[in-house]
Amino acid sequence: MKLQKALEGHKKEIVSLWLERTLNSYKSSGFFKKENDSFANPVGVNIKEALNTIFDLLITNAEQLDYIEALDQIIRIRAVQTFTPAQAVAPLLELKWVIKQVFSAKKDTEPLLRELDDLDCDIDRLALMGFNVYTECREQVYRGRIKEIKSGSYVLTDAGCPSKLLQDRPRVLKNN
Amino acid sequence: MAVVKLDKLARSVAEGPSLMTGAFPTKDWMEVPAVYKPGNYAYPTKPDILNYLDSQQGINLPNAREWNPEDDDWKLPDNWKDIIIQGMADRLDKFRSLKIFMDCCVRCGACADKCHFFLGTGDPKNMPVLRAELLRSVYRQNFTLAGKILGKLAGGREMTVGILKEWFMYAYQCTECRRCSVFCPYGIDTAEITIILRELLHLLGIGINWAMEPVANSNRTGNHMGLTPQAFKGNVDFLCEDIENLTGVKVNPTFNRKGAEVLFITPSADVFAEPGIFTCMGYLILFEAIGLDYTWSTYASEGGNFGLFTNNEVMKKLNGKMYAEAERLGVKWILGGECGHMWRVVHQYMETMNGPADFLEIPKSPMTGTVFENAVSTKMVHISEFTADLIKHGKLNLDKSRNSHIKATFHDSCNPARAMGLLDEPRYIMDHVCDWVEMPENTIREKTYCCGSGTALNTDEIMELRMRSGLPRANAVKYVRDKHDVNTLTCVCAIDRATLTTLCDYWVPPVQVAGISELVGNALVLEGEQRQELDEGLRTLV
Repeated sequence: MKLQKALEGHKKEIVSLWLERTLNSYKSSGFFKKENDSFANPVGVNIKEALNTIFDLLITNAEQLDYIEALDQIIRIRAVQTFTPAQAVAPLLELKWVIKQVFSAKKDTEPLLRELDDLDCDIDRLALMGFNVYTECREQVYRGRIKEIKSGSYVLTDAGCPSKLLQDRPRVLKNN
Repeated sequence: MAVVKLDKLARSVAEGPSLMTGAFPTKDWMEVPAVYKPGNYAYPTKPDILNYLDSQQGINLPNAREWNPEDDDWKLPDNWKDIIIQGMADRLDKFRSLKIFMDCCVRCGACADKCHFFLGTGDPKNMPVLRAELLRSVYRQNFTLAGKILGKLAGGREMTVGILKEWFMYAYQCTECRRCSVFCPYGIDTAEITIILRELLHLLGIGINWAMEPVANSNRTGNHMGLTPQAFKGNVDFLCEDIENLTGVKVNPTFNRKGAEVLFITPSADVFAEPGIFTCMGYLILFEAIGLDYTWSTYASEGGNFGLFTNNEVMKKLNGKMYAEAERLGVKWILGGECGHMWRVVHQYMETMNGPADFLEIPKSPMTGTVFENAVSTKMVHISEFTADLIKHGKLNLDKSRNSHIKATFHDSCNPARAMGLLDEPRYIMDHVCDWVEMPENTIREKTYCCGSGTALNTDEIMELRMRSGLPRANAVKYVRDKHDVNTLTCVCAIDRATLTTLCDYWVPPVQVAGISELVGNALVLEGEQRQELDEGLRTLV
């Protein structure tokens, strides 16, 4: 109970450090942190919204399924950026470090560090769910690729020009 | 100094990096090399394609060879550096705009956060100002007094293989959409910087096959797909059969008919690939409904001009074929379909490359008498201008309820919007044929976000890149999908139709993509029709 209150009380601090560190994974992150218009800054704002939601769900002991939408909001983006799979889902696990960092800096929350085991487990579960979402996104990219190939546009690069094939045909026949 | 400010733009405020998330910048942008890995580059041009093109009159595309971007050795000609510097000198001399763009940027940063590649990647070299700096630094070093004397202190860089690799990476992470130019106080056309970068790379035989094979096909048979005249006509005939099955009306287009009033040119994807074929059925139904005296050409059978993504010689040649065909057939003017970059070429380069088209007449709609004064120079009218004029004059019998399965939003395709100012005509048409809503203000009209796959980047080997660069567009579509139940994204560009489909599948399912003319075709009430119940309009399977 005490832990939950502390998490609620320090939400702003925790989420803002969490967001800061997550956005630091981009080479040039200043803009992603600064701009609040979600249409001008889809990466920054979507990640911010997702982390906020995920934290709220954590402190209200939400059901696993409730996390999917927020996890999708952040992981779908990171799944197509230049991260390794581990880097893509790493921000979820980083929450552990962030909470410890915030709690250890203050006298009133410092004793709570020893009570974080359950929360750590929740965050682990969250990361595993995040990995599922990541894999789903990657599979979707591959499906998109196959769909484009099947739809016929591959002839642009991979098929011979029909008129060239027609030119080649007599030679093939002669050889036979 | 201004260069310091530029560094600030690129610098992250990251401190205390975590081992888990990684990717922190530890070096100045100039020191970060371009690293090629599977999935982050489009495949290089096949040597036989390049050899064929180089053998063609008016086209100079040398140094064909097998090479792999992932290799250290790109098998460059020995004098590659001289070729590049001379290539720059030639272009600075030939294109005054390039000289101005090299000199006048003050690094105000207005463009920096406007590029969909930057917004999707967070990579500072995708800020238009920095992408241009990749070229500008070499320009300073070799062509300015300060750069020659002070070198790096004046923001100059000695040309190296590393810089060449950087050019190839970032010239192909720009879709020449020109959103950044809208925000530039000096009006620097960053697309032209990309064009020049690509031109210079082509001098060394460095290009991508997804651009060059369509170019070769277009040069040979008249269209990207390499369709022979028979195949092209066959595909259109198939669509006519489909229209007859759906509506009971027989449509009889003509091909290569001399003396027709109008020559119709559209991207070949419209006659070949979904969902463009439905747009094409829309054109055919519209022309039948108004009894237009027009012809298709099986030679000018491509609106797209991948020359714009290659070099100015190829662009000129591919554009010239449309006008040569119009002259040969003796038409009065040209009607253009829903193509994107064709309109950039026609509106902004045609006049100086192949103009004036004196043998054509100023376009005048035979149905309404409207004279398209805006096309005095090009003699070419956009299908949306033409259709909107027909609606305005009450020439079309439209039943909006036939699109009741559609709740649409409109994506301003970059080139028609920013390169020819086609903003209101598609909206006017949509008002009359379907129920639709706008996306947020900073993602439409002149500020529209690119699909992320233009300039021949619509290839599957860089799918992740396409998905992240398309995020700003998809994010706005998601907003109207969630808020207004939008299920269809309309547009007026063939590359859009193909690539936004994949983009929406990833980010905003189940939103579909449709051309405006498809919705017109859905809504048009034809004389003598025996239309079936078409729950999904022209897409209904019967």
